[in-house]
Amino acid sequence: MADKHLSTQFDAELSGVSTRVLEMGGLAESQVVQALYALVNFSAETATQVLQLEERVNALEVEIDRELSAIIARRQPTARDLRLLIAISKTIGNLERVGDEAARIARTVLRHANSGVSNRLRLPVADAEFAAGLANASLRKALDAFARLDAESALEVIRDDNQLDIEFDGLLRKLVTYMMEDPRTISSAIDLVFVAKAIERVGDHAKNIGEQVVYIVRGEDVRHTGLAERSTVMATPAPTP
Amino acid sequence: MVTTNTTRMTGAIKAEARDLSFYYGDFKSLKGISMALEEHKVTALIGPSGCGKSTFLRCFNRMHDLYPGNRYEGGIDLKPDNVNILSSDVDPIEVRMRIGMVFQKPNPFPKSIYDNVAYGLRVRGVTARSELDDRVERALKAGAIWNEVKDRLDDLAFNLSGGQQQRLCIARALATDPELLLFDEPTSALDPIATGNIEELIGEIKKNVTILIVTHNMQQAARVSDYTAYMYLGELIEFGETSGVFTKPERKETEDYITGRFG
Amino acid sequence: MDTPMADTPMAQGSPTARQAPDLARLRSRIASAERRQKIFAIVGVLCTSFAVLVLLAAFLDLLFDGLPRISGDFLTNFPSRRAEQAGILSAWVGSALVMLVTMLSAVPIGIGAAIYLEEYARKNWFTDLIEINVANLAGVPSIVYGLLALGLFVYQFGFGESVLTAGLTLGLLILPIVIVSSREALRAVPIHIREAAYGVGATRWQMVSDHLVPYSRGGMMTGVILGMAEAIGQTAPIITIGALTFIAFLPPPPIGAEFPFLNFEWLMSEFTVLPIQMYNWVSRPDKAFQLNAAAAGVILLLMTLVMNGLAIYLRYQVRKKIKW
Repeated sequence: MADKHLSTQFDAELSGVSTRVLEMGGLAESQVVQALYALVNFSAETATQVLQLEERVNALEVEIDRELSAIIARRQPTARDLRLLIAISKTIGNLERVGDEAARIARTVLRHANSGVSNRLRLPVADAEFAAGLANASLRKALDAFARLDAESALEVIRDDNQLDIEFDGLLRKLVTYMMEDPRTISSAIDLVFVAKAIERVGDHAKNIGEQVVYIVRGEDVRHTGLAERSTVMATPAPTP
Repeated sequence: MVTTNTTRMTGAIKAEARDLSFYYGDFKSLKGISMALEEHKVTALIGPSGCGKSTFLRCFNRMHDLYPGNRYEGGIDLKPDNVNILSSDVDPIEVRMRIGMVFQKPNPFPKSIYDNVAYGLRVRGVTARSELDDRVERALKAGAIWNEVKDRLDDLAFNLSGGQQQRLCIARALATDPELLLFDEPTSALDPIATGNIEELIGEIKKNVTILIVTHNMQQAARVSDYTAYMYLGELIEFGETSGVFTKPERKETEDYITGRFG
Repeated sequence: MDTPMADTPMAQGSPTARQAPDLARLRSRIASAERRQKIFAIVGVLCTSFAVLVLLAAFLDLLFDGLPRISGDFLTNFPSRRAEQAGILSAWVGSALVMLVTMLSAVPIGIGAAIYLEEYARKNWFTDLIEINVANLAGVPSIVYGLLALGLFVYQFGFGESVLTAGLTLGLLILPIVIVSSREALRAVPIHIREAAYGVGATRWQMVSDHLVPYSRGGMMTGVILGMAEAIGQTAPIITIGALTFIAFLPPPPIGAEFPFLNFEWLMSEFTVLPIQMYNWVSRPDKAFQLNAAAAGVILLLMTLVMNGLAIYLRYQVRKKIKW
């Protein structure tokens, strides 16, 4: 089963761009992890690091997009290669926004830190931590699925996004409760709402990446489809050898 | 074996190969190919060298009959009258009167441009000068070359450039109003601009003629055809709508070939 | 003195020193190849000149002897016992008529055979045999053709010692040349032209008559002319079938005054040809007749050259029109 192109140059280009995507994914992951750490431990230092990573992530997006254009122009890719490149283009968009969300969280932490308010709030940071952990795990799983081109794993990521949405709803309700109990916590709580929203969006982006992986492997676009449809897609056999 | 899903076709079928096999002497070069050509559409045959795509093409106008030692099995039904053109009862000359061919290397006759196009008509008994003039002009217009040659119809065809000669050959084939037109790698000897002209022309003439084209250039197949058939070692591996075959082929062999993982 | 470039590689001379030997060796090899080339060119020129000079010498010798003798009289007089009055009228008319019959017999049969062998005959051992033998026929000594003609045409068919016999004999003689060159001309038509004709719906005969023959016409004509140039000088077969050497009359003219305006009496008439006349004169002791022979030889040579020239010109014309 020949998986290499006749043109080793083409192979090198494809693996090169895939590696860069994983590099970008790794950076985005770090951003999320560190943003979470900064939030839970109220560390301004870590928050700053997150913002520094942001530049690198944005630069990677631009670079990778440029490489993609070049490959498409020169190689006229078809079938699987074409799907891979289209999927990468969308994936890096998602990763860049993951970085944005992490940066948003970091900026919130910094604002609080710099405002001097000692955040010994009785706010459900722990819950946020849990949700963030889920989101982070999703992202890592999605990136793993991309690296291994594992459609099953990707599908699990898509499915698990529901859980994250549920967590987010729960968190929102808790925060409303806090705000109602103690109006002094409102401004911080609102900040935390935005943080929660950012976490929820990270999960969404992970889901999107999962959808792209399914597109690469199966050629089916499962965006905006429900569970039933996706099951049908997975039940259809992959291209026959 | 791959069976064509003809229900995917929206139009009528012009010709259908039924379990077609072909022998060069003892060598079985085509193995049970079944494939339908939709009317007024372009079907492309792709595959590595030696896969049998030219052999398959040349069955359609009985070109193999010209050389000894060849044998057909199975049939090709030409619609709407459903006649099996490979049958020994059918005169190959008659088949070639209904099915035209454009060859790889432009091969105009060493005659004038006018006589080149008129020859097919003369062979069919058209002698009236006015009718010939008329049909020659129509054919040259259909071949997108009228404007370049209208003032020098008596010039030798050899004085034209390669791309022009090929368009002349297309005009020559079109002059006799064929039902099916076969193209055997028509642009492989031409430069990119001439190639582009011919591809554009194919897009135009398919409105009136069904086209079967063999090409070793996959991007050309992707650009020009509505349906693509991938052949390998005399077998039909996959057949489907071109956009589908090039974005999500059904067979791994097809994907390996079109992505260049094997040539 | 401290030169700034003292310890650069250039100063140490190593890369340049490394390059120099290679270049020198290359140069000497090129020089020796060119020397060999010059030597070969010189040898070639010498050989060619030698061949040309010999031919030229023979021709000039003939010319010096014969040219003064050529005059209007010479061309219009009959042979006579008196050398000064002898002419080649009957000879060159005879040659022309025999050539006519030769052409009319060799061309249809030869071209027809070529077309059949090339396009219609199945490729099997039998046709291979025919092919080999046709080529071999060209090597049969011409006198054998004469003997064959004697038995077949003169006696069996009863044509006698006539223009017809001579023409048929020579026709047979040049048949292999015509067939082979016609086949070559047919083969020169590329297969993609034939396929183009078939592709448009032509039958085999239409392809042959509308395409194959017209395009190979040049080659075929060249072959015919070359055959005739060979035939015009043939002496042995003509002698064998009994062409007379002293003919003081012309065959009856083919075009008569009365109906039917065309007659064929001339075919059965006795005749002579230029080579025979030359042979006859040369064997006479009288020096004057030798000059006559030389003059006749010049005429014969001229006719041959004209025919060859015509063949070359034809080939050139055809090449201009048809480029594969």
